[in-house]
Amino acid sequence: MAKPKVGIYGLTSCAGDQLVLVNCEDELLDIVGALDLKSFVMGQSINDECELDIALVEGVVANQHDKETLEDIRSRSALLIALGTCAVWGGVPASKNEVSRAEFQKAVYGTETTGHEELITPLPLSHFVPVDFRISGCPIEKEELVGSIASLLHGDIPVLTNIPVCTECKMAENICQMVDLNNICLGPVTLAGCQARCPGHNRPCVGCRGPIEEANFASEYTLLLEKGFTSSEVINRMRIFAYPCEGLQAQVEKIENE
Amino acid sequence: MPSPYDTLIRTPNPYQPRSARIVRITPLVKDNVLFQFRFEDEEFSREFSYKPGQFVELSIFGVGECPISISSSPTRKGFLELCVRRAGRVTNALYQLKENDLVGIRGPYGNGFPVAAMENKNLLLIAGGLGMAPIRSLLNYALDNRSDFHDVILMYGARDPGEVLFRNELETIRHRDDIKCLLTVDEASSEWDGYTGVVTELFKEVKLDAAATYAAVCGPPIVYKFVLKELLAQGFSKNHILMSLERKMKCGVGKCGHCSIGYKYTCIDGPIFTYWDAMNLRELI
Amino acid sequence: MKVLTLSKKNATPFFEALKSFGKTYGPVEKGEKAYSFQPVESFSQLALDYKRTILPLKKFFYKPCQPVFHFNKDSGYQPAEEDLEEKIVLFGVHPCDINALNILDLVNSGPYVDNYYFVKRQNNLIIGISCMPDELCFCRSMSTDFAETGFDLFLSDIGDSYVVRVGTGIGDDMVNAVPDLFSPIDEESSRAYKDSSNERSAMFQRYIELSDLPEIMDLEFHSELWEKLGERCLACGSCSMICPTCNCYNIIDKLNLDQKTGERIRQWDSCLFKDFAEVSGGHNFRSKRASRVQQRYLHKQQGFVEQYGRPSCVGCGRCTMVCPAKIDIVEILHTIRGERNHRRRKSDRRR
Repeated sequence: MAKPKVGIYGLTSCAGDQLVLVNCEDELLDIVGALDLKSFVMGQSINDECELDIALVEGVVANQHDKETLEDIRSRSALLIALGTCAVWGGVPASKNEVSRAEFQKAVYGTETTGHEELITPLPLSHFVPVDFRISGCPIEKEELVGSIASLLHGDIPVLTNIPVCTECKMAENICQMVDLNNICLGPVTLAGCQARCPGHNRPCVGCRGPIEEANFASEYTLLLEKGFTSSEVINRMRIFAYPCEGLQAQVEKIENE
Repeated sequence: MPSPYDTLIRTPNPYQPRSARIVRITPLVKDNVLFQFRFEDEEFSREFSYKPGQFVELSIFGVGECPISISSSPTRKGFLELCVRRAGRVTNALYQLKENDLVGIRGPYGNGFPVAAMENKNLLLIAGGLGMAPIRSLLNYALDNRSDFHDVILMYGARDPGEVLFRNELETIRHRDDIKCLLTVDEASSEWDGYTGVVTELFKEVKLDAAATYAAVCGPPIVYKFVLKELLAQGFSKNHILMSLERKMKCGVGKCGHCSIGYKYTCIDGPIFTYWDAMNLRELI
Repeated sequence: MKVLTLSKKNATPFFEALKSFGKTYGPVEKGEKAYSFQPVESFSQLALDYKRTILPLKKFFYKPCQPVFHFNKDSGYQPAEEDLEEKIVLFGVHPCDINALNILDLVNSGPYVDNYYFVKRQNNLIIGISCMPDELCFCRSMSTDFAETGFDLFLSDIGDSYVVRVGTGIGDDMVNAVPDLFSPIDEESSRAYKDSSNERSAMFQRYIELSDLPEIMDLEFHSELWEKLGERCLACGSCSMICPTCNCYNIIDKLNLDQKTGERIRQWDSCLFKDFAEVSGGHNFRSKRASRVQQRYLHKQQGFVEQYGRPSCVGCGRCTMVCPAKIDIVEILHTIRGERNHRRRKSDRRR
């Protein structure tokens, strides 16, 4: 089989997910050898913006240029894969989406227009184009990236973990951040795959990998309030990485209406 | 002194897939293909036996495993046929394979139809849509052991003629006089010479002796709903109504828990349940 | 059964002698008030007054995530070999956890035998230890507060010494390795044992009535309780992970980059997860969280009873302890039975 033609791109983001690929030291040669890497601005100097079999896209759409880039990538890629929490959920750039961009510019630059390109309220890729597959994480896990590439090369849609952080945390026999230490821990509503890295280092889960399917934000919120945290403490924590998530926004709106 | 676990660790590994080669690929209807397999190990192939209604776990290299009901009859030795609907990752990957490619198969699993108890009785086989896949195993078993059974009746309903599984085979069977083969479609086309209407309409075409008949039913929930009602109206005992039910059978050997319903595991206590069992297992139908 | 006494001052030399039988593991403190079975070098490291470990002993017999096959495109599926030689000694196991292993033995045997489990099981030696119940224990109700089988030795604390029951021939070998450390049982230790047993009986704070529970669960199948639990439950899977008898697992194939080799792994799973009963093509037989919570309780307290003649719950209290949503099995069973005056747990149950 011919090597798949692949492009790796970053929109508005910290480029941390692309960095994970570059940091795959042991596997890097195998990965690069198995792919026909047409475009990867972070990793190579000669790039060809041609028709692609697979596009891996990191970041959010936060301005008109991002949107046009994304639409262009989509138009020439058979598969488009969202890479990282920003691309999948909106991530940190979307955590204050209820504030207008003009207000932000005024706060930062003292003026509502900076003369730079037109800003868009940051949203995940799927808001603008169809996304075929999602690898979440801030940053993504190397094992999930390598495993996904292996499956894609084999012609299969990859299967990633879809269990909550609590499950992996218990498997690792960590002390419970939420029950035992009374911290705001988002483990129960957050997608695992990280082997519960933060609780393993005695830090509560901050939800960086985005919500699990059918995350029970309502119950998590109530339970944290019962522990004595304020509504804004809980909501602010929940919205850091995945504010555009429908279930979460519904919960936030419900609270604001009360 | 040997530990009590000594004999247990020496039993065959129930999760071991056996290499099997795809012998023939026969497209049946849209997204339904009949795959014929032969085990690589000739001795194993010769000795491999099963009951109609059982299933196997099919492994596609590098992709995963999924349960598929057996469509062939154990009376026809040396190969195994699976009618596979393209539905998920594993079946999608199977569809990419060609004749002569290798897969892994383990089994057979499940209870299968109680064929010994069904001997010297009439058989009423009722299939709706893709439910024909496991019913075909029982049908061919009954045809190959024709003298073991009294009347054999097949009622098969599909949406339209293009969705009738095993149509060529069934056309041949229709002309036999030792079986009543009734085919119906919801929407007929001009070339269709079977019945038109839902499968329960076919009850008008036959005279049944409920006390001396076993009914084997497989189909989507809507088929069960109406067929079961009709069978009860005909005076069938709930113990004589056999249903083949689908669940998420993962390990196939009653360990992984995915197909558990109440106190039953579909993979070992089923997939064939009597209507009585099914009624007593909440959520089963 | 052979019964002896072991003076506590002989516990250290006895523990040292056990090392010739395998690698020793025991309960050690992990953070404040949390415990875990870990490799232990000396008797003094053991926290034998522990109430319960975070993970039960199942972690030794089937790991949270372990390969079951290595696959190769040319040679097919090769079983991942378990180490048949590595012996381990689990020191200080409570009766509920011993009984949980007896239950897992049932599940893993039967018409199909899970040999991965039993290879591990045969390489383990178990030394039980007596315990005093805390406010979460309800093992007495589940008849798992006492271990009749499933241990090589069982030590019951009677103050200055242990009453030692010898459960197997290997247990006897352990005693015979250091015979001078043990003494025959005498009247005084027998009396001390009974006193301790009576004291323990009086300490149980939680009870559930098992009689006709399966029937009551049937009657309450449509109870609104399940809907309420479904709203509260986070489906975080914690209860399944820490349950000593939850044995559901998922099977995942992992292909390597070379496209030729890989592993089939199995990983602990939970019936509370959304896709647990979802079949190819997308139909989900338990799409609602409430129905999944219900399935968990029905399987433990009703389905298992029909299959094996007893519930699969051993009353260890772990699920109540870890649930972030404070779902408490004892409360649920009291509610479902319609009992109004059951003893409620203290509001601050962990301190």
